[in-house]
Amino acid sequence: MIAVDGLQKVYGDFAAVVGSTFSVESGEILGIVGPNGAGKTTTLKMIAGLIEPTEGTATVAGYDASEPEMRQILGFLPEESPLYEDMTPRSYLRFFADLYDVPREAAIERAMDTLDRLELEHRDRRIGDMSKGMKRKVAIARSLVNDPAVVIYDEPASGLDPLTTNTVLEFTRELKASGKTVIFSAHNLYHVESVCDRVVIMNEGRIIARGTVQELRETYGSREYQLRADVRPSEIEPTDTTIRGDSVEHLFTADSMAEADRIREAIEAADGTVLDFRTEESTLEAIFLELTGEPMAGSRQVHDSTAKSERRTAAGETS
Amino acid sequence: MTNVPDRLKNAIGDTRRRLASVWRIARWETSRSVGTIDRRTAVLGAIIIVLTGAVVGSVAVAGSAGLAIDRDIYRVGVDTENPYYPVVAESSQLAAAEPSQDALAAGELDILVDQPGEDAITWYVAESEKGAAAHSTLLSAIDRYTEHRMAAEPNESAAYPVRVDLQYVSRSTDATTPGGSDDGTQSDRPAGNGDEDTTGGADTSGSSGDETASDASGGESSTEGTTGGPLPSIGTQAFGGSQSGSPAAIQPPFPFSSLLLAFLFLVPMNFVSQAYGGTMLNERINRRGELLLVAPLARTTIIAGKTLPYLLAAIAVTAIIATIVGGGLLSVFAVVPIALGFLSATFVAAMIARSFKELTFVTVTIAVLVTTYAFVPAIFTNVTPIALISPLSIVVMDLQGEAVSIGEYLFSTGPFYAGSAVLFVLGSGIYREEDMFTQKPIPAKVIDALNAQLSGYASVGLWTALYVPFVFTAELLAIAILYVAPIELSIPVLLVTIALIEELAKSVHVYAGYARSRFERRLPVAVGLGIASGVGFFFAEKFTAIAQVVGLPELAIGQAAFAPTGLTPTLAAGLLAAPLVLHTVTATITAVGARDGRLVYASALVIATIVHAAYNYGVVMLYA
Repeated sequence: MIAVDGLQKVYGDFAAVVGSTFSVESGEILGIVGPNGAGKTTTLKMIAGLIEPTEGTATVAGYDASEPEMRQILGFLPEESPLYEDMTPRSYLRFFADLYDVPREAAIERAMDTLDRLELEHRDRRIGDMSKGMKRKVAIARSLVNDPAVVIYDEPASGLDPLTTNTVLEFTRELKASGKTVIFSAHNLYHVESVCDRVVIMNEGRIIARGTVQELRETYGSREYQLRADVRPSEIEPTDTTIRGDSVEHLFTADSMAEADRIREAIEAADGTVLDFRTEESTLEAIFLELTGEPMAGSRQVHDSTAKSERRTAAGETS
Repeated sequence: MTNVPDRLKNAIGDTRRRLASVWRIARWETSRSVGTIDRRTAVLGAIIIVLTGAVVGSVAVAGSAGLAIDRDIYRVGVDTENPYYPVVAESSQLAAAEPSQDALAAGELDILVDQPGEDAITWYVAESEKGAAAHSTLLSAIDRYTEHRMAAEPNESAAYPVRVDLQYVSRSTDATTPGGSDDGTQSDRPAGNGDEDTTGGADTSGSSGDETASDASGGESSTEGTTGGPLPSIGTQAFGGSQSGSPAAIQPPFPFSSLLLAFLFLVPMNFVSQAYGGTMLNERINRRGELLLVAPLARTTIIAGKTLPYLLAAIAVTAIIATIVGGGLLSVFAVVPIALGFLSATFVAAMIARSFKELTFVTVTIAVLVTTYAFVPAIFTNVTPIALISPLSIVVMDLQGEAVSIGEYLFSTGPFYAGSAVLFVLGSGIYREEDMFTQKPIPAKVIDALNAQLSGYASVGLWTALYVPFVFTAELLAIAILYVAPIELSIPVLLVTIALIEELAKSVHVYAGYARSRFERRLPVAVGLGIASGVGFFFAEKFTAIAQVVGLPELAIGQAAFAPTGLTPTLAAGLLAAPLVLHTVTATITAVGARDGRLVYASALVIATIVHAAYNYGVVMLYA
């Protein structure tokens, strides 16, 4: 549904985005994560046709991003909610429905349905008098007024309270369920992890990792197997030992399932019992910190090779 | 592959959809703008508008009906048989009453005009400030009454034993041969004209009253003498026909009343353009315009939709003013390009300003410049055809009941239409996400706007050509400003000014392209850009000159450019090729300089200006 190929944006001597290449399948939610200035918003705006790429192409449903026709099937939610504060949600949504040439009744019905789902009741209150969360909901409803096939959300839950954030995330899942393709950027990695099918991690304009959360864990994260036992086999050193009165508990850790099996067999051979067995995996946040915490190779030059990002491709996509 | 009818049908459908979108945005802009005004303010505004309309209407009606707000404020006791009775009766400020000393003493009269004997008249003035004012008013009324009676006298010689005829002659541009007139009164007229022309004051001073009446109407006959062709018959009503009268009664050649009424058209433009600038800047603040940009609309559709309400408002106000002051459709059509000029310049200002404070500064500057350009030349509507550079001159002519040819209308309004179009295109170049929401100083934004339109050599030539209306406007404004300066000063300053304006127009966008790394900095590229710019300027300049000749065949400058007499074909071809060489050479100088930054570009601009000014001087000397 969305194909991004070698997308690059340069401002003078500064490269905001360098050689981004990825694709999004129909009905999929792709998350783009990265620190401030990573190039997430610039990438999203190039896909939305708001910013002209210096190099590369972005196509949505076969349309080039620069074609106005493409914007007919696109719903875009910028990071800020730039609403017209003197309008009411109803008049605001009606105006945008007109702009998209959507039959007014259908558009209003759809918009009101969206506002119902987002639990926004004040349809005729002046937008300027609304809270930030309410405005965000109006902005989300505006992004869907044309029933778009593709939705691009830039930090949709930015600055919202937990309750509203949860509503927005839940709503994003509903969008996927209704068959829409979603690109979603966020700082909060938990949001991405809980909503997105696949993730692209950007840093300093480059894609430094990509794949499903699971693939990223496998590639960049660590998996640790933890066993708790009431005995200590002589040949194995426990990671930790806890003594509570008469009871003693030993914690053993293994990097692989085979090693964990070996520890388990040793415990059983020592007439011990495995009290607990669990797998600890890296969170996306931990992966992200590991990836971005290390110094990047090379400077942020315009014609720098994108080989690094490709080396780190986890999902095996070609570029 | 679609056939022609299908493509035509698609194009029509596309245009209809686009127009519908423009209309949608325009309606939304109107309702939103109205929505930003609270009810109390709206009611107050409506009251003020109604009151203003009522006052203006009353004044207009009173003026046309001969009414005055100071009617009958002084009471004059005068008998109906008294020779001063008609004076009092005709004056709107004076009211005749029964003459009575008692009434005067009681303060019921301000002046008593007594006629104790047949030839003896005694005036009694009440000893108060009002009495003194009444006395002064009565004396003025007597003067007017006398003037009126003398003007109505069929035998002019009896009424005015001494007469003075005024003729306004055009200035000569010949700095090298001052003087030369046969009567010695026109020291700046070119030599050699005095014998042939018929403009000398001495020649016509003895002509009949009929001839004098027509001669005194404008000054066109003098210009006819210097240019060899008739000028448009503008200004024939300037003095209301006969100019006979006392020296104090002789009016200057300025159509004061029409001019002041024409000025009324400019006033609302400032309000409309301020509102327009505010709404355009509002789209940039808090990134509100981003959502329009992401809608399936072309940039031009958005801009047109947001501009349309303000243009329609300007036209509506213009039509109302025209109705009140007695102007016709011609006045409205003459003001429309001025409105477009205001709006387009304000649009660019709103696209480059970073804040409302900056916007106010830029729009006030624009308002002053456009108002000056429109108003100052219009003062000379009855004096020189150069006044037609301002569309307001068309309004003045319309208010004076004069006919205006299509050529004159296009000559007058063409630069405004073309300039407005160019400004809208320039502004639309930065009506995009990357430029709208970035905070840069105004010069940097201007550079962005100029750069946004460039792509290669052809675009440089094209945009140089498109800047020519501004060049034309700036040069004519320079001429209008220097019109009053001594010719020894005005000509050299004009030559340098024109050279600078043209060199700037040919190079500023090339500099912008280099400043934004649009072009390679290699010498051959710079030379190519310079040649493209020079060629573009040459063709646009010649096209503009053709337009001048078509529009105003009488204008000397057009004739000088295209119909020089006494030239061989070879020399004529050389004269045509010379500007082409000049423009390409000087544009190349600046293009080469523009590669290396601001300072080198400025230096190159100075060199190019000097070369150009020297060329201009050479041409002037050649024609002289």
